[in-house]
Amino acid sequence: MTPWMLTEAGHGAAAPFAARFESIGMQLPERRVTTRELMASTRHHTRIDLERLTGIREHRVCGPDDTSLSLAIGAARDCLARSHYTGADLDMVISASITRYVDGTTHRFEPPLSLAIKQAIGAPAATSFDVSNACAGMLTGVFVLNDLIRRGVIRRGMVVSGERITGLGSNAARVIRSILSRQLASLTLGDGGAAVIVERAPEGHRGILLAGFTTLAGYSQLCLGQPARHHPGAQMYTRARKIHQVAMADAPPLIEDALVQADALIGDIDWLIPHQTSVRAIRSGERALAEQLGAHPRHTAVTVDEYGNTASTTLFLAIHRYLTDHRFVTGDKILLLSVASGLEVGVVLFEMDELEASHGHLH
Amino acid sequence: MGTCIEAVATAHGGRVFGRGARHLSDVAATACLARAHHRADELDLLINAGIYKDHNAAEPALASIIQHDLDANCGDPPRLGHHGTFSFDVLNGGCGVVTAAQLVDGFVGPGSARLGLIVAADADPSPRSSQGYAFSAAGGAMLLAHVDGDAGFQRFALRTFPEHAGLFEADLCWRPRAGLRHRGRNVVEIYEAPGFAACCVDRAAEVAAELLANAALSAGDVDLVIASQYPRGFGALVARRLGIAGERVPEVAASLASAHTAGPIAALEAAFESQRFARARHTLFVTAGAGITVGVALYRAG
Repeated sequence: MTPWMLTEAGHGAAAPFAARFESIGMQLPERRVTTRELMASTRHHTRIDLERLTGIREHRVCGPDDTSLSLAIGAARDCLARSHYTGADLDMVISASITRYVDGTTHRFEPPLSLAIKQAIGAPAATSFDVSNACAGMLTGVFVLNDLIRRGVIRRGMVVSGERITGLGSNAARVIRSILSRQLASLTLGDGGAAVIVERAPEGHRGILLAGFTTLAGYSQLCLGQPARHHPGAQMYTRARKIHQVAMADAPPLIEDALVQADALIGDIDWLIPHQTSVRAIRSGERALAEQLGAHPRHTAVTVDEYGNTASTTLFLAIHRYLTDHRFVTGDKILLLSVASGLEVGVVLFEMDELEASHGHLH
Repeated sequence: MGTCIEAVATAHGGRVFGRGARHLSDVAATACLARAHHRADELDLLINAGIYKDHNAAEPALASIIQHDLDANCGDPPRLGHHGTFSFDVLNGGCGVVTAAQLVDGFVGPGSARLGLIVAADADPSPRSSQGYAFSAAGGAMLLAHVDGDAGFQRFALRTFPEHAGLFEADLCWRPRAGLRHRGRNVVEIYEAPGFAACCVDRAAEVAAELLANAALSAGDVDLVIASQYPRGFGALVARRLGIAGERVPEVAASLASAHTAGPIAALEAAFESQRFARARHTLFVTAGAGITVGVALYRAG
């Protein structure tokens, strides 16, 4: 049966190779700001208990010298430090951030950020370009790399993103008056960078079992981010309740529909790593999966309580954290789930292998 | 199995009133689908390669909004058993269309997807305050379809020359004294060094020559050159450098002559209209942009 999501194996297409995650890196700013401190910075007295509503205790916030680009480069270097490869071994570098700051207030259109990133990590020969797909950007990059590696066009590539995005919260803090404000979600954001190397899996390794994406464009206007009119940086307007309703209703059947392509059921999944918007939303998602599909993954990763919503990097910051904490074991089936502005729904199902053992080894 | 070009279409902003990138994309995409007699809900994949968008919006991807405007499997709710559409944006300046074509080819070529649409449009988001914006308000759409046999896109080459990265930079910068009442504003600022155009030609010719050599083709085998429209005159200069006759570079309408990301689609539309694309055995796509980035592709007719 035709899956609703676009998958690499759709229409019965076969590919000669498999892809897998080889290493994952991150860069988080040192500075921590609690949600209470953030709410205390709003111009108007709001009485909103955002920590109780979202479960987010604190956020990482960039210093004055950090940019989207510097976070991305930091994450890419960390990723290479954990990898068997050097930058020169990479065939492709894809930058996937929403924010594109190259200094405090300058957002770069051209050249692509990926150009500066690959220069910084010593990968001048790699093909490079940027993708933009809201918070699903990094998973979109993985979707693309998985396809190119499976078909043998390239052997390995990096997807990288740096999000200096807490400036949206600063702009929102000027105008938020009540829980109904469409800029309230801007106060859940955190800064961070993440990078992942995807490589051709050695023979006999399963690696990425499924990658699928779809855009429910009927809901494309539910979250809009654009430069602020009279302030540096940007603003984001989100109809969070509506996005949540759509995600809860539509994501479970779409996930089940896609998993059929990998002969998997939701109950076979060991770990669900969903996009990290709030602890409450993640718990609701678990319940929606159980109610609609009759089962749910054994465990769910949550990092939003400590990092906030770091936009396109959340999934890979979560994997990095759980790898560091030795929460995965070889053979675990892990489902990455993006639900992002667009409305994008993307999944990547992979089997944990040497990444679990090699992650802590800096080369 | 391969990926062939079924149809192309363009839109421009008109002489008096400019139009936003979303509108230009919608017009071009709708015309493109109509020319190929396809419905929007047949699309599996939609990639937007435009850079300068309405309000400089950063999210969602403009592609998702275009998908919505086309009513292409909007998914409210999704109809399981039928395929949906996946949309996202690619940002690679003047090489965006060739980059997107390579990504679409990755799914359409092997048959994972049947139909992919590339849209590319740019319009100055704030004509009263932008500095150095030299592109015409123009959009294009190119429809790619799966075909059996070995026709279609044969090979791609994307290369960058970061030593020339400073020759062209486009930013959105905060200027505290800009705008009405000098309250400050985020302003599009584009800097182009005098040597940018010549450098694009040099590097593009180098990459194109390498691609032709790898395909065991000579300049004489190239029937058609589809090139970026910015920098002006780029296509003719690259063709001359490669030893390809200038008549094999289609001229586009004046309204599209400085199109940015849609430039190669404008050239392709001119070749479609003159039947030259239908007659060409080998078509060479040559694009260039900031970086300097060069995107080249070889397309073969069936």
